Amino acid sequence: MTNNPPPPGAVTRRGLLTGATAAAGLGLAGCGSASEAFSGETTVKQWNLLAGSDGAIMTSMHDQFTAETGIGLQATTFAWGTPFYTKLVMGASGGNAADVATIHLSRLGSLSPDTLLDSIGLDELTDAGLNPEDFPSSIWERCFADDRLYAVPIDTHALVNFYNRTICEQAGVLNPDGTLLETHGVEEYFDLLRAVKDVTGEYGTSLDTNAGWRQFWAWYRQQDGEWIFHEDGYELDDDKALVAIETMWRMADEGLCPRIADGAQCAANFENGAGGLVQVGNWEITRFRAFDEAQGLDFSITEMPDFFGNRRTQGDCHSYALPRHNAWDEEVRAATVEYISWMLQHSFEWGAGAGHTPAYLPVTESEEYQSLQPNAEYSGVVENVQFDPDVWFSGSAARLAVDVAQTLVGVYSGATTPEQALDTIKTQAQTLVDLPNPVD
Amino acid sequence: MTTVQERPPASESKPRTITRRRGRITVGGALVYFASFFLALLWLVPFLWALSTSFKTETEASLGQPIHWIPEDWSIEGYRVLFERGDHLTWMINSTVVSTIVTVLTLALCVLAAYGFSRLDFPGKKVIYGVILAGIMVPPQALIIPLFDVVSALRMVDTYWGLALPQVVAPVMIFILKRFFDAIPRDYEEAARLDGANHLRVLWSVILPLSGPILAAVGIFTFIGSWNNFLWPLLVGNDPSIMTLPVGLGVVAGGYGLLYAQNMAAAILGALPLLIVFMLFQKQIVKGVAGVGLSR
Amino acid sequence: MTTDTETPAAAPPAAPPPAQTASRAPKRRSWLGLWFVLPFTAVYAVFMVWPMLLGLYYSFTDKSLTGRPVEWIGLANWSEAFGDAAAWDSLWNTAWFTILSTPPLVILGLAFALLAHRARKMGWFLRLSFFAPFVIPVSVVTMIWIWMYQPDGGLINHYLGEWGLGGDRLWIFQEDSMGPIVATTVWWTMGFNFLLYLAALQTIPGEVYEAADIDGANGFQKLWGITLPLLGRTTALVITLQLIASLRIFDQYYLMAGGGMNLSPEHVAIQYIYNAGFTGLRVGYASALSYILFVFILVVALVQFRLLSRKED
Repeated sequence: MTNNPPPPGAVTRRGLLTGATAAAGLGLAGCGSASEAFSGETTVKQWNLLAGSDGAIMTSMHDQFTAETGIGLQATTFAWGTPFYTKLVMGASGGNAADVATIHLSRLGSLSPDTLLDSIGLDELTDAGLNPEDFPSSIWERCFADDRLYAVPIDTHALVNFYNRTICEQAGVLNPDGTLLETHGVEEYFDLLRAVKDVTGEYGTSLDTNAGWRQFWAWYRQQDGEWIFHEDGYELDDDKALVAIETMWRMADEGLCPRIADGAQCAANFENGAGGLVQVGNWEITRFRAFDEAQGLDFSITEMPDFFGNRRTQGDCHSYALPRHNAWDEEVRAATVEYISWMLQHSFEWGAGAGHTPAYLPVTESEEYQSLQPNAEYSGVVENVQFDPDVWFSGSAARLAVDVAQTLVGVYSGATTPEQALDTIKTQAQTLVDLPNPVD
Repeated sequence: MTTVQERPPASESKPRTITRRRGRITVGGALVYFASFFLALLWLVPFLWALSTSFKTETEASLGQPIHWIPEDWSIEGYRVLFERGDHLTWMINSTVVSTIVTVLTLALCVLAAYGFSRLDFPGKKVIYGVILAGIMVPPQALIIPLFDVVSALRMVDTYWGLALPQVVAPVMIFILKRFFDAIPRDYEEAARLDGANHLRVLWSVILPLSGPILAAVGIFTFIGSWNNFLWPLLVGNDPSIMTLPVGLGVVAGGYGLLYAQNMAAAILGALPLLIVFMLFQKQIVKGVAGVGLSR
Repeated sequence: MTTDTETPAAAPPAAPPPAQTASRAPKRRSWLGLWFVLPFTAVYAVFMVWPMLLGLYYSFTDKSLTGRPVEWIGLANWSEAFGDAAAWDSLWNTAWFTILSTPPLVILGLAFALLAHRARKMGWFLRLSFFAPFVIPVSVVTMIWIWMYQPDGGLINHYLGEWGLGGDRLWIFQEDSMGPIVATTVWWTMGFNFLLYLAALQTIPGEVYEAADIDGANGFQKLWGITLPLLGRTTALVITLQLIASLRIFDQYYLMAGGGMNLSPEHVAIQYIYNAGFTGLRVGYASALSYILFVFILVVALVQFRLLSRKED
């Protein structure tokens, strides 16, 4: 029995229309798998936070899913980050949220899986054609809480480096084969940025100054910095943290990156040539491809530059989780698991279209995927990806990342010195440690 | 210098708007005239800028510099995508349904209660009225935490009732209506009462017809308030199919990245419904407020 | 006391009312009236009184949105709240917002109403332009203003730069987003005060000015000597409503600042409560914060009520 009949006013369903809109020209590979026998009435409600351009890829995959399986899908994209997670928690606490939601794997613990999520049976997965061996074990292990499976990983995504070939060629920072010169250390990379800045006349690289946590964590981790939290405190390596923050400060101070640019501005800077590179998540590939089609933009992607001796980068895994239901309709439940399975088995498109590295090994290990460009150029991110610290207030868009990012906005803008910023960050972290834990 | 310092007694007759004699156009008058015009134009700038952006292509919109008001390359792409997605329409319907429920219920319940408090005597009247009046002091926003819990326990999360009912609790409306009813001379009712009408009938056929303007004003402002209410629908409408327009626009992202032209198209479409209503009824709205004595 | 549920058809008044005005006509005490007030009272009890009591109870517990079992923790939430600097900051931000936003909202409302009242042919245009923003949903308002506040390529910075006023402000994207949010709020809600003043102006009979005309008073004298004094009660009402509205600031802040990864970290009180309870899952703690805010608003309301009612005497 369904617990939540659709409200009388819901006249339209999203994502069932032509869908070709933003996804136009993505060249979706038509995989013709047999359609399951679901009655036309079954609809899966999916919530996601894919507010970036990867959302367009998901939408077109959804259309294909519905066309193939006959299962209806009602997908909603919420504003990324805190707004999404707040909605998810409130919906789940009411017991009639979505059937399935995309979450960051790093957030699993903070979502109180015990009370707010429904666990997934392994047999359910196998019945739908998914096996635990199909996932990298390092990721798969993160999907459990109290020995129960609460998440199914979709991908690994990370901060990468996009470069504009036209500009970089003029700046003389390309290899003969058209790839970006590999640099070692901050100074070498800054030299590269200076050369690019001379060409653009504005910035070397663009980046999202509101999302400084990502850069901070990547560069801190490149120095082997650890951030371990315990009951009443934490261990942070001040020197390494300061070095990471100073790198941001210098980059902005010299005008090698913008002093202020939100997600949209950050991408626009790259599109309109204000910056010859952009350090941003791999998901922006969709947006830049669309721009390329419209106006021409010759770009490729490489890993996070080596600032401190390696190419570690900040990242996470999108995963499917089932928000708690007061009651499951058996058919909806089956359709939900079928949806998860279908999306994973078709995640080649997720990788090709949105630039994410699929978690589903049969896809990533396929020859087709291995030779996929530009994905192959940054395939190393899967090894280099660094998850956020492991504590209940950490993870993508959680308090720690948000608070730190807000402080770092001031570093980019020039209002806060690195020392001040570090002090603030340490105070913020202590405040979070002192909070009573509402999860367990 | 001044001749009148006292407020004139509120007359029963309709207030007259007097056209003052303005023989010649003075320099000062002309200045005021143009100042008014430019101020009004300035006040419209945000709206006009949104309108202009909404008709640009995404590239032109995101380019920013140089600023130009007339799109170089007219595009209705933003609007087209919105209509295709369709949830905009859903939210507009939801807003209409919720605001209508809230307005009708507020009027019905508050009129009944105000009449009861004004014309009838019953045990516990003073206490109940006191408790309700005290509620004027309680900002509903300070109640969101336990209120969500109550609505959640009633299994009303993601339902129209959950959205609407807490908004019906408007003690100030009782106060306004009771004060108005109190001021209606009782002689009017006597005739009806002599004819054998009961209280419901008196309310319906005597009091209400005399209360047209105040009911209109209460209704209009309840409707606008509910239509634009953000916090409560934000909390209790989690499922996008039940969201109202302000909440949907505020929390549901496009799924196509941050697109300015599309964003502004959504803004324009979101602004239109009540804007049109206001343009059609602006005279009546001003009159309603004046007639009610809301501003006396 | 009677228990009649039906009022007798004809209840002749024992004595004629002393005047035309409403007076204490004798009423029969019956249960009937209860039926009239019951529907509202029921809704009121469930959605106002009960949550207030429940919130008080929760403030002494560690109630979590996750739904885990509730435990009584005594005054822990309260002592934490009183020592929570961020909470007091948010309360101060609410107060500061009210202080900053109320004067322009009242003064501009009055000024624009005076202009629109004078204008004849242009009246509809002024009314439309000044009042229209008020009927626009808040999320639309913030979408538009965020777009105008863009530091790089935004409309406002562009014109400031063009006029040599320095087009490099960060607006809501910096630490202090109060000013820009006040500006947005003034644009959005001024229309309501404008309308109240406009309506009040229309109730001033023209004869009032005729005597002044005979005395040869000029426009300014008439404004200062007649119009403004006559608007005194309206001003009291406008200020009261405005204070109540400003103290409840949430929407604009939620949508423009502190709403996630991207914008300024500032909070106002209700936003802080929202974050504590719904984002931070701590329902118990958020309930304690709510009560502190409630008392704060109550105190402001009472002080203001006393001040204004004294003025009217």
